[in-house]
Amino acid sequence: MNNLVFGKYIPIDSFMHRLDPRAKLIGLFLMIAAVFVPKSWWVFLVIGLMLALALLMAKIGIKMIVQSFKPMVMMMIFLMVINALTVKTGDVLFTVGPVQVYSDAVFNTLFVIVRLLLMISITTLLTATTNPLDLTLGIEWILKPLEVIHFPTHEVAMMVSIALRFIPTIIEETIRIMNAQKSRGVDFENGRLAEKISAILSLIVPLFSVAFERAYELADAMEARGYVPGAKRSRYHVLKFRFVDYLFILICVGALSFSILSRFYL
Amino acid sequence: MSLIELKNVSYSYNDSTKAVDDVSFSVRKGDYVTIIGHNGSGKSTLAKLIAGLLPVKEGSITVDSLEVNEENIPQIRKRLGIVFQNPDNQFIGSTVRDDIAFGLENKQVPSDEMEAIVEEYAKKVGLTEYLNYEPQNLSGGQKQRVAIAGILAMSPDIIIFDEATSMLDPKGKKEIKQLMYDLAGGDDITIISITHDIEEVLQSDDCVVLSKGKLFMHDVPEKVFANAEKLRQIDLDVPFIENVRETFGKYKIKLKANDLKGMVEELCRSGSKR
Repeated sequence: MNNLVFGKYIPIDSFMHRLDPRAKLIGLFLMIAAVFVPKSWWVFLVIGLMLALALLMAKIGIKMIVQSFKPMVMMMIFLMVINALTVKTGDVLFTVGPVQVYSDAVFNTLFVIVRLLLMISITTLLTATTNPLDLTLGIEWILKPLEVIHFPTHEVAMMVSIALRFIPTIIEETIRIMNAQKSRGVDFENGRLAEKISAILSLIVPLFSVAFERAYELADAMEARGYVPGAKRSRYHVLKFRFVDYLFILICVGALSFSILSRFYL
Repeated sequence: MSLIELKNVSYSYNDSTKAVDDVSFSVRKGDYVTIIGHNGSGKSTLAKLIAGLLPVKEGSITVDSLEVNEENIPQIRKRLGIVFQNPDNQFIGSTVRDDIAFGLENKQVPSDEMEAIVEEYAKKVGLTEYLNYEPQNLSGGQKQRVAIAGILAMSPDIIIFDEATSMLDPKGKKEIKQLMYDLAGGDDITIISITHDIEEVLQSDDCVVLSKGKLFMHDVPEKVFANAEKLRQIDLDVPFIENVRETFGKYKIKLKANDLKGMVEELCRSGSKR
């Protein structure tokens, strides 16, 4: 859990860090759409290469990206099992006990897993290269049109930013509580289902209590520093679209177009 | 002249117990006031009432003649900052730089003026080289200095330290206490420090003692600690120096000095006379 990096900002200076957060957010939506649309491995290869280049320009090591996959391992295993049990087309590749595993099941699982991994990598790239406060500004800007229907854009953006900022803190807290409960004899790894549920409860209840306490204290600290939800504020970081930001969006539009066209021509 | 005035202030979180019970006292401009008391004596509640983080339900609190109420709170908050106990729960910015700027953004300081202010106050608390660090990667003392820089950047007249050193290691404690003493040295800033650190109380101009939500004593620290027996009755500690004075007093040796060195000199003088 110590190595959980999803949502973590890496404060270094790089080309990707310097991009406008709005451009990166738009890019994120475009690239996620581009990952969702295709049915061809070629598109994944192209998006994968683009991602590798972006990671290189962001000075983010592959280790961090691999670490961001860890929380999804269980989900991937679950996907494999479900596909093995339900997809019965193609050739029989091998047999596990009474279950025959078909080629389409393996192909579908791999396709979904690669899609998932690309999505996680793209999101990790965004959060690792965008300061949470800048992300708030970006989200606020994107949600701006919703203000017409009195949607609290700034508050939502601030909530997202604080949630991201608190991910590492809550992880640390979880580890602390887990260790405290282990020292009292709670076993998180072994035992029957009922015992495991009881162990998890001994973790979740204090975690929620601590999280609420932190939330109250943070709210007090924010109020004490003059924060009023909905009130006008000036900006330390003034966002400015530059040529490279437009170029970045254009490249992402290109990736999405390629992905859409691949459905018809590849 | 009183800058902060509390008159018959009471507050209860639920109807059964009063966290603060009929407390009245005043704080002069430029003073360094410490508030002491055992856990649950109402110290933090009182701080939150003064800062307008809790509504004043009974009695009244005024800050520079402005009553602390919903209408005046925005104006009062521009002049008053509060540093909390746990530095980890005070950060909003992802870097030291952003965190110091948070209050400035709320105060609507123009964007082009912020950089200089951020750098000025980072320098004041000795964190210039850490401006681009994530606050959670700093030591306890450094984290609390970031919180203080964030408050100082808003140019407050009053700073409340709510047990700001209690979660720090000895080095961090020393750093923050020194910073507090430096701030208290000038006449511009009024400091209210809620503390369990008896040695810190000795450095203050005025000391407020709370017990079970009530005002137990309010005087200069020397006079407060002269009532050692009364303080012990409410489970409060007295400074080492007062324990020494009291012990020698039992042997009819009166020591007047207010520091250990002075006491030793007094003892040497009285020994040589005999």
